[in-house]
Amino acid sequence: MVNPTEGSLAAELRELGRHLDVPEAPDLRPAVLDRLAAPHQTDPAPRRRFAFPRRPRWLVAVASAILVCALVAVSPARAAVADAVDGLLRFAGIEIRPERVNPELPAPSPLPSVRHAGLDEARRLANFPVRVPDQLGEPERVSVADPAPDGSPRVVSLFYRGGAVRLDEFDGALEPAFMKQAQGAEWVALDGYSALWFPAPHPVTYIDRTGAERVETARLAGPTLIWTDGSASYRLEGVATREEAQRIAESLSP
Amino acid sequence: MDGYEYLLARHTATAHRTAVLLGAGDDAEDVVQEAFVKAFQRLGNYRGESGFRAWLLAIVGNETRNLHRSRRRRDGLVLRAVVGLRPGPAPVDPSDSAEASERRQHLVAALQRLNERERDVLVCRYLLDLSESETAATLDLSKGTVKSRAFRALAKLRAVLGVERPGAGIAREVAGG
Repeated sequence: MVNPTEGSLAAELRELGRHLDVPEAPDLRPAVLDRLAAPHQTDPAPRRRFAFPRRPRWLVAVASAILVCALVAVSPARAAVADAVDGLLRFAGIEIRPERVNPELPAPSPLPSVRHAGLDEARRLANFPVRVPDQLGEPERVSVADPAPDGSPRVVSLFYRGGAVRLDEFDGALEPAFMKQAQGAEWVALDGYSALWFPAPHPVTYIDRTGAERVETARLAGPTLIWTDGSASYRLEGVATREEAQRIAESLSP
Repeated sequence: MDGYEYLLARHTATAHRTAVLLGAGDDAEDVVQEAFVKAFQRLGNYRGESGFRAWLLAIVGNETRNLHRSRRRRDGLVLRAVVGLRPGPAPVDPSDSAEASERRQHLVAALQRLNERERDVLVCRYLLDLSESETAATLDLSKGTVKSRAFRALAKLRAVLGVERPGAGIAREVAGG
């Protein structure tokens, strides 16, 4: 620092650090998350050894890390994690606010410029792949909402079971499209992706293209699973159990 | 487990590299796994003074020290084991490559001549390029100690480098490690 010789030796050591042939870091997420999922287990879960670096999974991890730019801050521990990644509360294009709010909400009202559409039409119009879960099959009804000037909808919704179950699909990779106020959300591992499960009813508000909250769309949503596959975000509402929601999410066909 | 996966994805590489360079050897993966589990269990204590990475590395450092205690020895070959075989980023001047590589091996040999405490500080501060606070957390030292020990270790390293010539003996030892 003060001594130029010391500075150059320090630089040389940094350079050496970049040349060290350190074994590639393994993907520890499965092993760690397994162990955390069973906190009362006394002996540690079998530790995994990988014969070779699982680079593709690692890339997936990085990709999902970019999407998971934030967390639900509820308990002090969760707050710590949120703090550690600078406190943004976004996941899969949904902004999550940890506060509890007045549950008295206006009667549900639709998303902006919503209209019915056929599945094929929705697929043709949308700029993201519209996928159908095999577990639920062909939707009873499809709607498109909040179109761009070119007519491509921002949100496509599939309805099932007389409207009790809905799957919203949208391109949420850029900015949040929904805002949830919820406590007690939990992370769920899907096949290759992470999802957030909201077991209890919670208020949900649509955030339109301009970034404005559409307060008139605020309504109480039932249990909901949200996730993203990297190309689109999904919001499955109205399935009672986490297990069923997970099965449905994992059955999305291309 | 809210968001913890994000922290895993983001910090595994640094944590693993730190464990390897502090001598965890083949146990580095177990050390890091253990550190992440403990970090999660202790999240309630996280105060965020110097960031999550420093906090995690403190646990990695501690786990690695526990490992040395349980082994009753230290994997002194760590630097030798990891140096030299991997071609680095393509050199700007290709003729510089062989010379630079020799210089690096010489530097590793000199680092082996330091005692563990001195070497650990240089490893964290420079080879891993951690901040002073992160180095202090990882090695469970005060920032003042990190500063003074790094200063002394650099001086000693310079002295060793000044005396040693990159002789065949050292080169063989490095290559054979």
